[in-house]
Parts: sequence; C-alpha cells; structure tokens
Amino acid sequence: MTILDAFDRMMEHTARRIAQRSSRRGVLARLGGVLVGGAVLPLLPVDKTGAKLAHANEFAKTAQTKDPTKCNYWRHCASDGYLCSCCGGTVNVCPPGSYASPTAWIGTCVNPDDGQAYLIAYQDCCGKDSCGLCFCLGTEGEMPSYRPELNNDIVWCFGAPSMVYHCSSQVLIGKA
Amino acid sequence: MRLRALGVVAGLCGACLGSGSVSAQVQPATPIPPQMPPAAAQPTQEDHPTLVLPEPSPRWIYVLEPVFPYLVASKMWIFDGDDLSVKGMVSGGYTPNAVMSHDKSRFWLAETYWSRGSRGVRTDVVTAFDSKTLDPVGEVVLPNGRLLVVPKKHNATLTSDGRYLLSFNMDPAFSLSVVDVTAMKYLGELDTQGCSLAFPTGDRSVASLCPDGRFVHLTFDETGRVVTSELGQPFFDSENDPVFEHAAVHRPSKQAFFISYEGWVYPVRLDGMPKVAERWKLQGPGDEEWRPGGWQLAAFHAASNRLFVAMHKGGKWTHKQAGDEVWVYDVTSRQRLHRIPLPHHSATITVSQDDKPLLFALTETAILQVFDAVTYQPKAERSNIGITPWLLYTFGE
Repeated sequence: MTILDAFDRMMEHTARRIAQRSSRRGVLARLGGVLVGGAVLPLLPVDKTGAKLAHANEFAKTAQTKDPTKCNYWRHCASDGYLCSCCGGTVNVCPPGSYASPTAWIGTCVNPDDGQAYLIAYQDCCGKDSCGLCFCLGTEGEMPSYRPELNNDIVWCFGAPSMVYHCSSQVLIGKA
Repeated sequence: MRLRALGVVAGLCGACLGSGSVSAQVQPATPIPPQMPPAAAQPTQEDHPTLVLPEPSPRWIYVLEPVFPYLVASKMWIFDGDDLSVKGMVSGGYTPNAVMSHDKSRFWLAETYWSRGSRGVRTDVVTAFDSKTLDPVGEVVLPNGRLLVVPKKHNATLTSDGRYLLSFNMDPAFSLSVVDVTAMKYLGELDTQGCSLAFPTGDRSVASLCPDGRFVHLTFDETGRVVTSELGQPFFDSENDPVFEHAAVHRPSKQAFFISYEGWVYPVRLDGMPKVAERWKLQGPGDEEWRPGGWQLAAFHAASNRLFVAMHKGGKWTHKQAGDEVWVYDVTSRQRLHRIPLPHHSATITVSQDDKPLLFALTETAILQVFDAVTYQPKAERSNIGITPWLLYTFGE
C-alpha cells in the first residue's frame, strides 16, 4: 500500500465518520475525486454554499487579484504559512529544489474579479526548511485538526519525498 | 581553591535565583577528554561549572518555541513566573510537543529529526529531560512517526499514573503511539478510529476527538494494545460550531473545558469514558461582538474553579485571532468574575496551579506577560522570548 493509498483510506475514514451524521445525498454531493498529477486525491467535504462561502465573500471584499506576494491575494483566504510566491515559486509552482506535495486540504475562496467561488488546494512545497518569507494566515472555513481535511496547521507534505515544510502553495482546483 | 570557588559560585547563583530557601547546585565542568593534551585546559582564577536547577516551582513557566522560520531547531524556554528571569533552555527537534511529568522530575519532548538537518533519514523520538540538569537523559524512538503539525498541546499527553506517554500520529492512519516512560520503551500504536488528539482519562485509558464531534475512548493493556474502544455521542456540531483543540485541561482533577468557536463551554469529566455536562455560553447580553480565539486560548485553575479564556472582538472565522482580554469565570456558578485587559494581545494563555496563581499571556510577537491571577493586576512582562514562542506549560497542569 503506497502512502497515497493509505492517505485516501484515512480520508475515507474521516468522510465516513462525518457521513454518520449527514444525509447520504449531502455527503455524496460533497465527496468525489480529482485527478492531480496522476494521483487520485480525495475531494473532501467542502461546504460550497453555507457559512464558509459567505465568509469567503467577506475576505474577497478586500482581496486583490494582482499580487500573489501579499496576504490579501484572493487565493490566500485560508492559506497558512510562508507564501511560495515569495520564495522563488508561484501560487502553483514550487521553488527550485523543493518537492510539490500531491496532497492538500481544500479551501473555498472568491475571486473578486468575477465574484465566483473557487476550490483551492493548499498543497505545500517540501524538502527544505521553512522559507521564512511572507507569512500569511488565512482562516476562512478553517477547522480544528480533528477535521484534518479542513485544517491548515498540518504539514501537508504527505506523499512528497520529504515531510519537511518549505512553503505554502495555493493551487486552483476549479469552480466551487 | 576549587571547592571554595564552587561554593562562591553556588552562593552567587543562590542569590540570583531570588529565593533564600532554594540552594543552587552546580555540576563540575566537563573533564578534559583523554585525546586532548592536558595543557589545552585554560587555567582560570575562577572555576567554570554548570548550574543545576532546584526542584521546579509550579510558578515556573515553560515556553515551547517551534521557531517557525527555522522549524528544524525548536526550543523550550524556562522562566521564573514571578519576575520572568531566565532559568534555562533546552533545544528540541521539528514541531515538538512537550509533556510535563506529575512528579516534576522530568519533561519530555516528542520531536522529529533528520540526519542532515532538513535532509536525510527521519527519526521521531520521545526525549526525556531531567528537570534540574536540563540534560536529555533518555530517548525512545517512535517507529511509526508522529503527526507533524504546528504544535498543539493535546497531541501528546501522559496517563494518570504518569507511566505512559501517548503521542498522536497520522502516518496517515490515525493512532496514538504508546511509550512506557518508566521503562523508556515503545510499546505500540492504539488505533483511534479516525479520531485525533489525546486526553488522558485514567492509568490505561485515553480519549480522542472525532470528526463528527464525539469522543472515542480507548483502554489499553501494559503491552500497548487496545483492550476496549467505545464511541460516545456527538456533543457539539463539528460542521457549524467546532470546539477548539486547545481545551483547558487539568490532568490531576480530570476536568476539562472544551470551548467552541462561538463561545459555548462544554465541561467534560475525563475519568473513564468522558462525561459531558450541560454546556454554557461565555458571552452574555452586550457581549455579542466578542468571541474566543487564539491558539492555547483557555486555562483552568482547579483549586479556585476558575476558567480563563482569551477573547477578542471579531466576526466568524476569526478563531485564530489573539485575545484583547482574558475573561475569568467561576465554572460552578458559570458567572464571569472579571475581564482582564491585555496590554499586548495574546494568542496563548495559561495559569499556574499553586494557591496564589499567576496568569501568563503570550503574544505572537514574542512578548510574555504575567498577571497576579488573584488580583488580576499585571506583574511583569518580557520581550524577545526567542522568535516565535507558541505554547505554555507548567508543572501541576
């Protein structure tokens, strides 16, 4: 069993536990899979319509779409850590010599240009010590670590060759 | 004369400890190793020994610093809580968790290292530190690792008898690694069934919090295997109003207070299967703008039945915003006793467990503040506590 298989199983476990209290239709609507880099990642329970999105709109009121090195860049609504955009990478490209993690927790941010909500995979870049530049803490829709799929404190380097956190990416999944 | 010099050093350091009843001890300087020529030893008029601390006071404050810009090199600072003078420091590994012993003789760090700093072979260990010498005195390798996460206090704990340290792991299966800290031996993993964190409930039992807002309660045997596993009923709404991980937990009295994002307090008896009492709300009429938040945002002083919570003005999803005030409650009457304004807003607080307790508040800008937790008056503050100090611990918590 690869670590990604195990990771999927872990997340299924989490999803099942949530499902014990949710309607089957609701859970099915919120679970799925998305193909990223050849690995099937769990698309975990994401509240697309409720309070989290309402607050993503709150962040979007002061967000901008031009400068990803600033904490108020629209995709950073729930990003926690050092921005890869300040560390030699971009929102979706890891700095040289670091490893792109295939796993992530998933947030929902509103792009103020079109008013649409987008799912963002908060994947870390890994394999070197913390970049240390441009620390930002977004907490929109962020949950405690017993909801790991919605927690931004965990080192999201599962499945990467190294579990050493370097910086935080904000990779677009698609429209919410 | 060597012995006389030692006596002078001990006397001076006794004075700098600020307590006439505590006599400082010293360890002689490290002897010169055989491979060094004797002439390499620098002769000095004074001796150059190493201080040994007295038994820790319950008023000392232990500050865990993950050092975010340099995560591979964490620290645990130790200060005298009354005047915030430095008692000492230990070095730790990646995103450590600290656990304090019941008898004050030890504290442990569950920590992670790579053989080449940030590269190479990963090793996860529980390291025992002597609380007087601050020397690492033993370690137990965690063969299945530990969860790497911004340090959260309840990711590691100690059973009621002080024998088993439990370290949370997501490798990625959810489990608790069991370490016998008497024998300094790794025993195995307890499957937490997808639930996280560790709240001790007895000598051979522990509870974890599940994604749907219930506890799972595990009992285990002396070989580190699960004996029973019981799921409780959901006691909070984990979709709409989750409880913070940093519940205020007092291990000796087995009491805990879980606090939700919206300010509901869930009193929990951690004695066997957790028993949740009727919830109550921190905010009353006129407090609508306020909510709890920060990191280690709550503390409980058992002898006086008082709960301390960091509060700020803010909207939904400001759960990590540092507190502008600490609100103090009597948990029996569920009435607020006091509001303590914080000169510097603080994400992390704790309270010492002695009968004239101290309240500590730690900012995200490395300022530690101390208040008299009886009169609520500020006593001292200290800046530049490293770079990113994060969690607070005391003996007796």
